Amino acid sequence: MSSKQSSPGKAPLGADLVIPGLALGFAAYFFFSIADLAWEAKANGVLIGSVLVLLIAIQLVRTAVQVAKKKADLSMAPLLEPPDALPRRVGLVLLTVVFIAAMPWLGLTLSLFLGLAAGLYLMGVRKRSHLIWTPLAVAASAYILFIAALNSDFPHGPVENALAALTSLFQARP
Amino acid sequence: MSWDFIVGQFAVQFGLWWVIWPAILLGIVVGILPGFSPQNTLIMLLPLTLAVKVEVALAFMIALYCANHLAGGIPAILVKIPGSGGAAATTLDGYPMTQKGQAQQALVLCFTASVFGGLITTLATLALLPWLSQIGLVLRSVEMVVVMLFGLTLIAVIAAKDFLKGLIAGFFGLLIGVIGTDHIYNTPRATFGFLELYDGVPLVPALIGLFAISEALVMLEEKMIVGKEGQAKAASAQWAGIIDGLRLSVKYWWQIVWTSFVGLFIGIVPGAGASIAAFVAYQQSRLWSKHPELYGTGIPEGVIAPEAANNGVTSGTLVPTLALGVPGGSTAAVMMIVLQYHGMVMGPRLFASNPEVAYGVFVSMAVAYIFMIFTILPLARYMSRIVLIETTYLAPIIVLVTIVAAFGERQYAFDMGLALVFGVIGYIAHKTNYHVTAILIGVILGPLFEQYLVRALRISQGDFMILFSSTIGNTLWALLALSLVLPFLRGWRQKKALAAAQFGEDD
Repeated sequence: MSSKQSSPGKAPLGADLVIPGLALGFAAYFFFSIADLAWEAKANGVLIGSVLVLLIAIQLVRTAVQVAKKKADLSMAPLLEPPDALPRRVGLVLLTVVFIAAMPWLGLTLSLFLGLAAGLYLMGVRKRSHLIWTPLAVAASAYILFIAALNSDFPHGPVENALAALTSLFQARP
Repeated sequence: MSWDFIVGQFAVQFGLWWVIWPAILLGIVVGILPGFSPQNTLIMLLPLTLAVKVEVALAFMIALYCANHLAGGIPAILVKIPGSGGAAATTLDGYPMTQKGQAQQALVLCFTASVFGGLITTLATLALLPWLSQIGLVLRSVEMVVVMLFGLTLIAVIAAKDFLKGLIAGFFGLLIGVIGTDHIYNTPRATFGFLELYDGVPLVPALIGLFAISEALVMLEEKMIVGKEGQAKAASAQWAGIIDGLRLSVKYWWQIVWTSFVGLFIGIVPGAGASIAAFVAYQQSRLWSKHPELYGTGIPEGVIAPEAANNGVTSGTLVPTLALGVPGGSTAAVMMIVLQYHGMVMGPRLFASNPEVAYGVFVSMAVAYIFMIFTILPLARYMSRIVLIETTYLAPIIVLVTIVAAFGERQYAFDMGLALVFGVIGYIAHKTNYHVTAILIGVILGPLFEQYLVRALRISQGDFMILFSSTIGNTLWALLALSLVLPFLRGWRQKKALAAAQFGEDD
């Protein structure tokens, strides 16, 4: 049986176990990390974690019973459907990783412009004007609000440095 | 405090329209973006507020604060992305209303509930300030444990469709909420070695990931976020939609009044905030409703309750700040810094030494709300058209702009990565019907619940009976028990009535 496609007539319950799996893993790590702490520091976590583990155990039993009765299988289909959206979804997540990694070098404005242009292209937008003007409008708005108006600590890159130099040049003139 | 004094204060504040209006517009813009809280914006604008006269600074800060609270509901309704934790509960019914083609009505309900909720509680605060300031002293850690439990029971309500999955999501969120150093010894717990998690899981990246990014990843499956009927309604949005929203607001006026007072009372308690108020108000609204089963399907009461409470908090937070000198929240703390810079001494003496500032704060708030209704209401017609933008454009814009916003709260690049991690968790939860709101309730209320519980137990040296040691606390326990029993009782009576009716038909 494929792990991706569910058998006809059977409920795909494999995907239902991902959140309990993550929660169980985290609970195990949590218990490990608080083992040596004073009771005040761990009382609440132990209480919550124990109930969580109990709930997950019930969920596992519930799923096992369904699978044993052949009413369900361990397919991951709900997470991967529809197939045509999957590459765009994975692409968007990967693009976001690259965006976060590149921002310290490119600065807020340029990374947002390039990231959005790439994101729109990935989603299937092919009109050149839309690929340029939409990211430009968003990046310019972000620059005006976050850098120019609020002066927040977003990473500065070539665009921010060039605009800062330009501004100081005008301010320096008598 | 005479009527002449109050009327004079209103005249002064109306004269500051030139600073209130820009503050409202800025508050709305930053309020729509998750991550830009009013305290962040005010900190960034400190050079401005410190440079101008105290009454001007005050009018600016108050207007920005109130507008920010109102604006968080706009993206919550239109694209299921709450602008702040206080608007997270608004997504429960606001977004379903948008999907039904009622975005305009939902926005108007959000605006009127926010404005009138804020206005009513502000006027009530002005009238009852000496008494209200005592509430912060009466509600201690024991009572706050029960207040937190009121909010947490919403997890069980949300879990109604699949109780086990809802509870797993809620307890997963609660355990995530325990990440960070403990409240007594400051020892790190489950921080994965990241210093950035020592203060706990930051709310904004969690909010952005669980709602914005996960929703953007899901919306890719469709061309538009609403069906054809919803698109047609949004495209033909007329003033009639706004009038219909106003009609609904009048119809549910009592809902606005009592849920805004929930916000006021919770706001008075230092440390409690808009998120708790909104969740408690939603839970209570559902509890006392004649049709609780309709909550979550897109009904006006589900939008009104969290929004009125969210804005009821605004005046509540300032009560302990001014009356006791204890900031009711982080925004109030920033305002306190500005006022102290201008030579004001917070506490009971402020009302005698500088009544124009002490009462002026609340008058300024009332005036800001009055200005806001005229500024924001006409925009509902145009804002509702955002649902006409294709998801091919919306999804990347939402993901990248909200990732940028995740940086805003603490200015850590780490928070952007954290938002993405929560986004993936939220997407999985979304696709497998583990309610993301239940996870978020846990993340928000978990640390606060622990803080109050540990403080109470510390006082009693580990004796749990302290939780039942005060009259107010015991009354709240009784109300909590009633909250939990009432839905079952109601369901049993409905079943009995149905069975009796069927029996009658058979006869």
